[in-house]
Amino acid sequence: MSVSMTFARGWRHPLHLCVLTLGCALLAGCGANEVVVKGYFPQPVLDKLPITLGVYYDPEFRNHEFFDQASNRGESDWIVRTGAAQTQMYDILLGGMFEKVIMLNELPREDRVAAVGEAGADVILVPHVDELQYSIPRHTKINVFEIWIRYRYQLYAPDGELLADWTMTSYGKTPTAFMQTAEGAVNLAAVVALRDAGANFALNFTSVPEVKQWMEAREPRLEDEP
Amino acid sequence: MNMSKYLVVGSLLVLAGCVTSTVDEMVFEEPTEALGDATVVILGRRHASDYETEPDFIACVAKHIHARDDTITVIPELDFMNNLYPWFEPRTAPLRPIDIERLMQVEPVRDKLIDMKTEYMVWIDGSTIRTEGAGSMTCGIGPGGAGCFGFGTWGNDANYEAIIWDFTDRQEVARMSTTVTGQSYMPAVVIPIPIIAPVQGTACDGLGDQLLKYFSIKY
Repeated sequence: MSVSMTFARGWRHPLHLCVLTLGCALLAGCGANEVVVKGYFPQPVLDKLPITLGVYYDPEFRNHEFFDQASNRGESDWIVRTGAAQTQMYDILLGGMFEKVIMLNELPREDRVAAVGEAGADVILVPHVDELQYSIPRHTKINVFEIWIRYRYQLYAPDGELLADWTMTSYGKTPTAFMQTAEGAVNLAAVVALRDAGANFALNFTSVPEVKQWMEAREPRLEDEP
Repeated sequence: MNMSKYLVVGSLLVLAGCVTSTVDEMVFEEPTEALGDATVVILGRRHASDYETEPDFIACVAKHIHARDDTITVIPELDFMNNLYPWFEPRTAPLRPIDIERLMQVEPVRDKLIDMKTEYMVWIDGSTIRTEGAGSMTCGIGPGGAGCFGFGTWGNDANYEAIIWDFTDRQEVARMSTTVTGQSYMPAVVIPIPIIAPVQGTACDGLGDQLLKYFSIKY
Protein backbone atom coordinates (compact mmCIF):
# COMPACT_ATOMS: atom_id res chain seq x y z
CA MET A 1 0.00 0.00 0.00
CA SER A 2 2.70 2.45 1.00
CA VAL A 3 4.72 1.56 -2.10
CA SER A 4 1.82 2.25 -4.47
CA MET A 5 1.02 5.51 -2.67
CA THR A 6 4.60 6.71 -3.10
CA PHE A 7 4.51 5.74 -6.78
CA ALA A 8 1.24 7.59 -7.34
CA ARG A 9 2.43 10.67 -5.53
CA GLY A 10 5.78 10.55 -7.35
CA TRP A 11 4.22 10.96 -10.81
CA ARG A 12 2.52 14.15 -9.75
CA HIS A 13 5.90 15.90 -9.81
CA PRO A 14 6.02 18.20 -12.89
CA LEU A 15 9.39 16.82 -13.99
CA HIS A 16 8.07 13.27 -13.98
CA LEU A 17 5.07 14.34 -15.99
CA CYS A 18 7.36 15.98 -18.52
CA VAL A 19 9.42 12.77 -18.80
CA LEU A 20 6.21 10.76 -19.26
CA THR A 21 4.91 13.14 -21.93
CA LEU A 22 8.24 13.13 -23.77
CA GLY A 23 8.35 9.33 -23.61
CA CYS A 24 4.84 9.08 -25.02
CA ALA A 25 5.72 11.53 -27.80
CA LEU A 26 8.82 9.53 -28.72
CA LEU A 27 6.88 6.27 -28.71
CA ALA A 28 4.15 7.85 -30.83
CA GLY A 29 6.82 8.64 -33.42
CA CYS A 30 7.43 4.90 -33.81
CA GLY A 31 3.81 4.09 -34.76
CA ALA A 32 2.38 4.05 -38.26
CA ASN A 33 0.99 7.27 -39.74
CA GLU A 34 -2.62 6.57 -40.56
CA VAL A 35 -4.69 8.72 -42.89
CA VAL A 36 -8.36 8.14 -43.55
CA VAL A 37 -8.91 10.17 -46.71
CA LYS A 38 -11.69 12.73 -46.37
CA GLY A 39 -12.66 15.43 -48.80
CA TYR A 40 -15.37 17.30 -50.61
CA PHE A 41 -16.46 15.86 -53.96
CA PRO A 42 -18.70 18.13 -55.99
CA GLN A 43 -21.79 17.08 -57.90
CA PRO A 44 -20.88 16.91 -61.62
CA VAL A 45 -22.46 19.42 -63.97
CA LEU A 46 -23.42 17.18 -66.89
CA ASP A 47 -26.29 16.23 -69.17
CA LYS A 48 -27.45 12.99 -67.56
CA LEU A 49 -27.17 9.87 -69.71
CA PRO A 50 -30.55 8.13 -70.15
CA ILE A 51 -29.27 4.94 -68.56
CA THR A 52 -30.22 3.09 -65.39
CA LEU A 53 -26.85 2.08 -64.05
CA GLY A 54 -26.28 -0.71 -61.57
CA VAL A 55 -23.09 -0.27 -59.52
CA TYR A 56 -21.26 -2.91 -57.60
CA TYR A 57 -18.33 -2.01 -55.33
CA ASP A 58 -16.49 -5.13 -54.26
CA PRO A 59 -15.19 -5.30 -50.64
CA GLU A 60 -11.63 -4.62 -51.80
CA PHE A 61 -12.77 -1.40 -53.49
CA ARG A 62 -14.93 -0.29 -50.53
CA ASN A 63 -12.09 -0.87 -48.05
CA HIS A 64 -9.19 0.08 -50.27
CA GLU A 65 -6.02 1.19 -48.51
CA PHE A 66 -2.35 1.31 -49.26
CA PHE A 67 0.46 0.56 -46.90
CA ASP A 68 4.02 1.83 -47.07
CA GLN A 69 6.47 0.11 -44.79
CA ALA A 70 9.26 2.19 -43.27
CA SER A 71 12.63 1.32 -44.79
CA ASN A 72 14.63 2.22 -41.66
CA ARG A 73 14.18 2.87 -37.93
CA GLY A 74 13.98 6.63 -38.24
CA GLU A 75 10.90 6.48 -40.43
CA SER A 76 7.29 5.53 -39.89
CA ASP A 77 4.98 3.19 -41.72
CA TRP A 78 2.12 4.75 -43.61
CA ILE A 79 -1.44 3.46 -43.94
CA VAL A 80 -3.65 5.48 -46.25
CA ARG A 81 -7.29 4.42 -46.31
CA THR A 82 -8.91 5.57 -49.53
CA GLY A 83 -11.89 3.17 -49.69
CA ALA A 84 -14.57 5.33 -48.05
CA ALA A 85 -13.54 8.48 -49.95
CA GLN A 86 -13.45 6.79 -53.36
CA THR A 87 -16.85 5.16 -52.75
CA GLN A 88 -18.26 8.56 -51.75
CA MET A 89 -16.74 10.18 -54.86
CA TYR A 90 -18.18 7.56 -57.24
CA ASP A 91 -21.61 7.71 -55.53
CA ILE A 92 -21.78 11.46 -56.17
CA LEU A 93 -20.26 11.27 -59.65
CA LEU A 94 -22.43 8.45 -60.98
CA GLY A 95 -25.54 10.00 -59.43
CA GLY A 96 -24.86 13.12 -61.48
CA MET A 97 -23.94 11.24 -64.68
CA PHE A 98 -26.79 8.77 -65.07
CA GLU A 99 -30.55 9.11 -64.97
CA LYS A 100 -30.84 6.46 -62.26
CA VAL A 101 -28.25 4.60 -60.22
CA ILE A 102 -28.93 1.35 -58.38
CA MET A 103 -26.48 0.03 -55.81
CA LEU A 104 -26.04 -3.73 -56.11
CA ASN A 105 -24.89 -6.08 -53.40
CA GLU A 106 -23.57 -8.71 -55.76
CA LEU A 107 -21.97 -9.09 -59.14
CA PRO A 108 -24.22 -9.98 -62.10
CA ARG A 109 -24.01 -13.69 -62.92
CA GLU A 110 -26.09 -15.85 -65.16
CA ASP A 111 -27.76 -17.61 -62.21
CA ARG A 112 -28.68 -14.26 -60.65
CA VAL A 113 -29.99 -12.50 -63.74
CA ALA A 114 -33.48 -12.25 -62.24
CA ALA A 115 -32.24 -10.35 -59.18
CA VAL A 116 -30.36 -7.80 -61.28
CA GLY A 117 -33.18 -7.64 -63.83
CA GLU A 118 -35.70 -6.93 -61.08
CA ALA A 119 -33.53 -4.08 -59.93
CA GLY A 120 -34.01 -2.63 -63.42
CA ALA A 121 -30.43 -1.83 -64.35
CA ASP A 122 -29.58 -1.41 -68.05
CA VAL A 123 -25.90 -2.08 -67.38
CA ILE A 124 -23.76 -2.77 -64.35
CA LEU A 125 -20.50 -0.96 -63.63
CA VAL A 126 -17.83 -2.55 -61.46
CA PRO A 127 -14.85 -0.29 -60.67
CA HIS A 128 -11.56 -1.68 -59.34
CA VAL A 129 -8.27 -0.12 -58.24
CA ASP A 130 -5.88 -1.78 -60.65
CA GLU A 131 -2.67 -0.12 -59.51
CA LEU A 132 -1.58 2.66 -57.20
CA GLN A 133 1.78 4.40 -57.04
CA TYR A 134 2.85 7.21 -54.74
CA SER A 135 5.71 9.27 -53.45
CA ILE A 136 5.72 10.20 -49.80
CA PRO A 137 7.51 13.07 -48.02
CA ARG A 138 10.63 11.08 -47.23
CA HIS A 139 11.11 10.64 -50.97
CA THR A 140 10.38 14.27 -51.78
CA LYS A 141 11.80 15.87 -48.56
CA ILE A 142 8.90 18.35 -48.35
CA ASN A 143 5.27 17.66 -47.48
CA VAL A 144 4.25 17.12 -51.07
CA PHE A 145 2.70 13.79 -51.88
CA GLU A 146 1.99 12.46 -55.33
CA ILE A 147 -0.52 9.69 -55.96
CA TRP A 148 -1.15 7.94 -59.24
CA ILE A 149 -4.06 5.52 -59.52
CA ARG A 150 -5.08 3.26 -62.38
CA TYR A 151 -8.74 2.31 -62.20
CA ARG A 152 -10.15 -0.64 -64.08
CA TYR A 153 -13.80 -0.50 -65.05
CA GLN A 154 -15.93 -3.44 -66.09
CA LEU A 155 -19.33 -2.96 -67.64
CA TYR A 156 -21.72 -5.90 -67.58
CA ALA A 157 -25.08 -6.55 -69.22
CA PRO A 158 -27.82 -7.53 -66.74
CA ASP A 159 -27.34 -11.18 -67.84
CA GLY A 160 -23.74 -11.09 -66.68
CA GLU A 161 -22.15 -10.71 -70.12
CA LEU A 162 -19.02 -8.56 -70.02
CA LEU A 163 -19.64 -5.62 -72.37
CA ALA A 164 -16.54 -3.53 -71.75
CA ASP A 165 -13.34 -3.68 -69.74
CA TRP A 166 -11.04 -0.67 -69.76
CA THR A 167 -8.64 1.33 -67.58
CA MET A 168 -8.26 5.02 -66.80
CA THR A 169 -5.55 6.75 -64.82
CA SER A 170 -5.67 9.61 -62.37
CA TYR A 171 -3.04 11.75 -60.70
CA GLY A 172 -3.02 13.91 -57.62
CA LYS A 173 -0.37 16.06 -56.01
CA THR A 174 -0.56 18.06 -52.78
CA PRO A 175 -1.53 21.50 -54.11
CA THR A 176 0.22 23.40 -51.33
CA ALA A 177 2.66 22.22 -48.74
CA PHE A 178 2.43 25.46 -46.75
CA MET A 179 1.25 24.88 -43.18
CA GLN A 180 0.46 21.25 -43.98
CA THR A 181 1.14 18.26 -41.79
CA ALA A 182 2.30 15.14 -43.63
CA GLU A 183 -1.11 13.57 -42.99
CA GLY A 184 -2.91 16.66 -44.33
CA ALA A 185 -0.68 16.68 -47.39
CA VAL A 186 -1.36 13.04 -48.27
CA ASN A 187 -5.09 13.58 -47.76
CA LEU A 188 -5.05 16.54 -50.16
CA ALA A 189 -3.10 14.58 -52.78
CA ALA A 190 -5.55 11.68 -52.54
CA VAL A 191 -8.55 14.01 -52.88
CA VAL A 192 -6.99 15.65 -55.97
CA ALA A 193 -6.34 12.18 -57.46
CA LEU A 194 -9.94 11.12 -56.81
CA ARG A 195 -11.32 14.31 -58.36
CA ASP A 196 -9.12 13.67 -61.39
CA ALA A 197 -10.36 10.07 -61.61
CA GLY A 198 -13.94 11.35 -61.54
CA ALA A 199 -13.27 13.99 -64.21
CA ASN A 200 -11.56 11.48 -66.47
CA PHE A 201 -14.39 8.96 -66.09
CA ALA A 202 -17.18 11.51 -66.51
CA LEU A 203 -15.84 13.06 -69.70
CA ASN A 204 -14.50 9.92 -71.36
CA PHE A 205 -17.07 7.25 -70.46
CA THR A 206 -19.02 7.57 -73.71
CA SER A 207 -15.81 7.59 -75.77
CA VAL A 208 -14.75 4.08 -74.68
CA PRO A 209 -15.24 2.13 -77.96
CA GLU A 210 -17.21 -0.77 -76.41
CA VAL A 211 -19.42 1.62 -74.41
CA LYS A 212 -20.01 3.74 -77.49
CA GLN A 213 -20.94 0.63 -79.47
CA TRP A 214 -23.35 -0.53 -76.75
CA MET A 215 -25.00 2.89 -76.58
CA GLU A 216 -25.37 3.09 -80.36
CA ALA A 217 -26.93 -0.39 -80.43
CA ARG A 218 -29.31 0.66 -77.65
CA GLU A 219 -30.53 3.88 -79.27
CA PRO A 220 -32.77 2.28 -81.96
CA ARG A 221 -34.38 0.11 -79.26
CA LEU A 222 -35.13 3.22 -77.19
CA GLU A 223 -36.68 4.91 -80.22
CA ASP A 224 -38.95 1.85 -80.78
CA GLU A 225 -40.21 1.98 -77.19
CA PRO A 226 -43.51 3.86 -76.77
CA MET B 1 5.17 54.62 -29.02
CA ASN B 2 6.11 56.25 -32.34
CA MET B 3 9.71 55.19 -31.83
CA SER B 4 8.70 51.55 -31.44
CA LYS B 5 6.64 51.77 -34.65
CA TYR B 6 9.68 53.08 -36.53
CA LEU B 7 11.76 50.29 -35.05
CA VAL B 8 9.30 47.62 -36.22
CA VAL B 9 9.08 49.09 -39.73
CA GLY B 10 12.84 49.53 -39.86
CA SER B 11 13.43 45.95 -38.75
CA LEU B 12 11.04 44.63 -41.39
CA LEU B 13 12.82 46.63 -44.09
CA VAL B 14 16.18 45.33 -42.97
CA LEU B 15 14.88 41.74 -42.77
CA ALA B 16 13.44 41.77 -46.30
CA GLY B 17 15.81 40.52 -49.01
CA CYS B 18 16.28 42.24 -52.36
CA VAL B 19 13.97 41.60 -55.30
CA THR B 20 13.99 42.70 -58.95
CA SER B 21 10.69 42.78 -60.74
CA THR B 22 9.77 43.12 -64.44
CA VAL B 23 6.24 43.41 -65.74
CA ASP B 24 5.00 43.29 -69.31
CA GLU B 25 1.59 43.50 -70.93
CA MET B 26 -0.15 43.25 -74.30
CA VAL B 27 -3.73 44.40 -74.59
CA PHE B 28 -5.60 43.33 -77.71
CA GLU B 29 -9.07 44.52 -76.74
CA GLU B 30 -9.75 47.21 -74.10
CA PRO B 31 -12.94 46.76 -72.02
CA THR B 32 -15.67 48.95 -73.45
CA GLU B 33 -17.61 49.35 -70.21
CA ALA B 34 -17.30 48.83 -66.46
CA LEU B 35 -17.79 45.33 -65.11
CA GLY B 36 -20.96 46.27 -63.22
CA ASP B 37 -22.37 43.14 -61.59
CA ALA B 38 -20.47 40.80 -63.92
CA THR B 39 -17.77 38.66 -62.34
CA VAL B 40 -14.18 37.70 -62.98
CA VAL B 41 -12.66 34.32 -62.26
CA ILE B 42 -8.94 33.76 -61.84
CA LEU B 43 -7.72 30.21 -62.43
CA GLY B 44 -4.32 28.54 -62.30
CA ARG B 45 -2.96 26.37 -65.09
CA ARG B 46 -2.00 22.91 -63.84
CA HIS B 47 -1.70 20.74 -66.90
CA ALA B 48 2.10 20.79 -67.22
CA SER B 49 3.93 17.78 -65.87
CA ASP B 50 6.82 19.60 -64.20
CA TYR B 51 5.11 22.44 -62.34
CA GLU B 52 1.72 23.65 -61.14
CA THR B 53 0.58 27.21 -60.61
CA GLU B 54 0.21 27.52 -56.84
CA PRO B 55 -3.38 27.89 -55.54
CA ASP B 56 -2.02 30.32 -52.89
CA PHE B 57 -0.74 32.60 -55.64
CA ILE B 58 -4.11 32.61 -57.41
CA ALA B 59 -5.84 33.43 -54.11
CA CYS B 60 -3.31 36.22 -53.49
CA VAL B 61 -3.96 37.87 -56.88
CA ALA B 62 -7.74 37.61 -56.39
CA LYS B 63 -7.46 39.15 -52.92
CA HIS B 64 -5.18 41.92 -54.25
CA ILE B 65 -7.74 42.92 -56.89
CA HIS B 66 -10.78 42.81 -54.62
CA ALA B 67 -8.96 44.64 -51.80
CA ARG B 68 -8.14 47.60 -54.09
CA ASP B 69 -11.46 47.74 -55.92
CA ASP B 70 -14.33 46.13 -54.07
CA THR B 71 -16.70 46.70 -56.99
CA ILE B 72 -14.91 43.84 -58.79
CA THR B 73 -16.29 40.46 -57.82
CA VAL B 74 -13.66 37.77 -58.14
CA ILE B 75 -15.03 34.23 -57.83
CA PRO B 76 -12.71 32.09 -55.68
CA GLU B 77 -10.92 29.50 -57.79
CA LEU B 78 -12.05 26.42 -55.86
CA ASP B 79 -15.68 27.58 -55.73
CA PHE B 80 -15.65 28.01 -59.50
CA MET B 81 -14.05 24.60 -60.06
CA ASN B 82 -16.53 22.92 -57.70
CA ASN B 83 -19.49 24.65 -59.31
CA LEU B 84 -18.40 23.49 -62.75
CA TYR B 85 -16.92 20.09 -61.93
CA PRO B 86 -15.53 18.28 -63.95
CA TRP B 87 -14.95 20.91 -66.66
CA PHE B 88 -12.17 22.96 -65.05
CA GLU B 89 -9.99 20.24 -63.56
CA PRO B 90 -6.30 20.23 -64.62
CA ARG B 91 -6.88 17.58 -67.31
CA THR B 92 -10.19 18.94 -68.61
CA ALA B 93 -9.83 22.73 -68.45
CA PRO B 94 -10.22 24.59 -71.77
CA LEU B 95 -6.89 25.55 -73.28
CA ARG B 96 -8.15 27.96 -75.96
CA PRO B 97 -10.94 30.56 -75.91
CA ILE B 98 -12.70 28.63 -78.68
CA ASP B 99 -13.11 25.70 -76.27
CA ILE B 100 -15.66 27.80 -74.34
CA GLU B 101 -18.03 27.19 -77.25
CA ARG B 102 -17.84 23.45 -76.58
CA LEU B 103 -18.62 24.08 -72.91
CA MET B 104 -21.57 26.30 -73.70
CA GLN B 105 -23.17 23.44 -75.62
CA VAL B 106 -23.60 21.54 -72.34
CA GLU B 107 -26.82 23.00 -70.99
CA PRO B 108 -26.15 22.70 -67.24
CA VAL B 109 -22.70 24.29 -67.74
CA ARG B 110 -24.18 27.17 -69.74
CA ASP B 111 -26.81 27.73 -67.03
CA LYS B 112 -24.20 27.78 -64.27
CA LEU B 113 -21.99 30.24 -66.15
CA ILE B 114 -24.95 32.52 -66.80
CA ASP B 115 -25.88 32.30 -63.08
CA MET B 116 -22.34 33.25 -62.09
CA LYS B 117 -22.33 36.18 -64.56
CA THR B 118 -18.77 35.37 -65.59
CA GLU B 119 -17.52 38.05 -67.98
CA TYR B 120 -13.77 37.47 -67.84
CA MET B 121 -11.68 34.40 -67.19
CA VAL B 122 -8.04 34.97 -66.22
CA TRP B 123 -5.67 32.04 -66.63
CA ILE B 124 -2.44 32.36 -64.68
CA ASP B 125 0.40 30.09 -65.67
CA GLY B 126 3.72 29.93 -63.85
CA SER B 127 5.42 29.14 -60.60
CA THR B 128 8.00 30.27 -58.09
CA ILE B 129 11.10 28.15 -57.90
CA ARG B 130 14.16 28.09 -55.69
CA THR B 131 17.36 28.58 -57.64
CA GLU B 132 20.97 28.35 -56.55
CA GLY B 133 21.87 28.18 -52.87
CA ALA B 134 25.18 28.53 -51.03
CA GLY B 135 26.67 28.61 -47.55
CA SER B 136 26.43 26.36 -44.56
CA MET B 137 25.13 26.49 -41.03
CA THR B 138 25.83 24.40 -37.98
CA CYS B 139 23.51 24.15 -35.03
CA GLY B 140 24.29 22.55 -31.72
CA ILE B 141 22.73 21.88 -28.34
CA GLY B 142 24.52 21.41 -25.04
CA PRO B 143 24.03 21.76 -21.28
CA GLY B 144 24.74 25.49 -21.50
CA GLY B 145 22.22 26.16 -24.26
CA ALA B 146 21.72 25.89 -27.99
CA GLY B 147 22.80 27.95 -30.96
CA CYS B 148 23.68 28.11 -34.63
CA PHE B 149 26.59 29.56 -36.54
CA GLY B 150 27.02 30.07 -40.25
CA PHE B 151 25.57 31.77 -43.28
CA GLY B 152 23.21 30.61 -46.00
CA THR B 153 21.91 32.27 -49.12
CA TRP B 154 19.53 31.17 -51.85
CA GLY B 155 17.65 32.66 -54.77
CA ASN B 156 14.02 32.51 -55.85
CA ASP B 157 12.58 33.12 -59.30
CA ALA B 158 8.91 33.78 -59.96
CA ASN B 159 7.56 33.73 -63.51
CA TYR B 160 3.85 34.17 -64.12
CA GLU B 161 1.77 34.96 -67.17
CA ALA B 162 -1.89 35.96 -67.04
CA ILE B 163 -4.09 35.51 -70.08
CA ILE B 164 -7.49 37.20 -70.06
CA TRP B 165 -10.38 35.65 -71.98
CA ASP B 166 -13.53 37.56 -72.71
CA PHE B 167 -16.30 35.09 -72.01
CA THR B 168 -18.93 36.81 -74.13
CA ASP B 169 -16.80 37.26 -77.24
CA ARG B 170 -14.90 33.98 -76.68
CA GLN B 171 -11.55 35.60 -77.37
CA GLU B 172 -8.26 36.42 -75.75
CA VAL B 173 -8.22 40.12 -74.90
CA ALA B 174 -4.98 40.67 -73.00
CA ARG B 175 -1.80 38.99 -71.87
CA MET B 176 0.31 40.13 -68.92
CA SER B 177 3.41 38.75 -67.32
CA THR B 178 5.68 39.33 -64.38
CA THR B 179 9.16 38.08 -63.61
CA VAL B 180 10.63 38.54 -60.17
CA THR B 181 14.01 37.39 -58.91
CA GLY B 182 15.24 37.71 -55.37
CA GLN B 183 18.03 36.68 -53.08
CA SER B 184 17.40 35.62 -49.50
CA TYR B 185 19.99 35.39 -46.73
CA MET B 186 20.22 33.67 -43.38
CA PRO B 187 23.14 34.72 -41.17
CA ALA B 188 23.37 32.92 -37.85
CA VAL B 189 25.35 33.94 -34.81
CA VAL B 190 23.66 31.94 -32.04
CA ILE B 191 20.22 32.82 -33.48
CA PRO B 192 19.54 32.42 -37.24
CA ILE B 193 18.07 35.62 -38.71
CA PRO B 194 16.19 34.95 -41.96
CA ILE B 195 16.22 37.84 -44.44
CA ILE B 196 13.67 36.59 -46.93
CA ALA B 197 13.14 38.12 -50.36
CA PRO B 198 9.35 38.39 -50.90
CA VAL B 199 9.53 37.07 -54.46
CA GLN B 200 6.09 35.51 -54.78
CA GLY B 201 4.42 38.39 -52.92
CA THR B 202 6.02 40.93 -55.28
CA ALA B 203 4.90 38.88 -58.29
CA CYS B 204 1.38 38.77 -56.84
CA ASP B 205 1.31 42.55 -56.37
CA GLY B 206 2.77 43.16 -59.85
CA LEU B 207 0.30 40.93 -61.66
CA GLY B 208 -2.57 42.10 -59.44
CA ASP B 209 -1.85 45.75 -60.29
CA GLN B 210 -1.73 44.98 -64.02
CA LEU B 211 -5.06 43.14 -63.86
CA LEU B 212 -6.55 46.01 -61.86
CA LYS B 213 -5.54 48.47 -64.57
CA TYR B 214 -7.43 46.34 -67.06
CA PHE B 215 -10.59 45.66 -65.06
CA SER B 216 -11.00 48.66 -62.79
CA ILE B 217 -12.27 52.08 -63.77
CA LYS B 218 -10.50 53.52 -60.70
CA TYR B 219 -7.02 52.71 -62.01
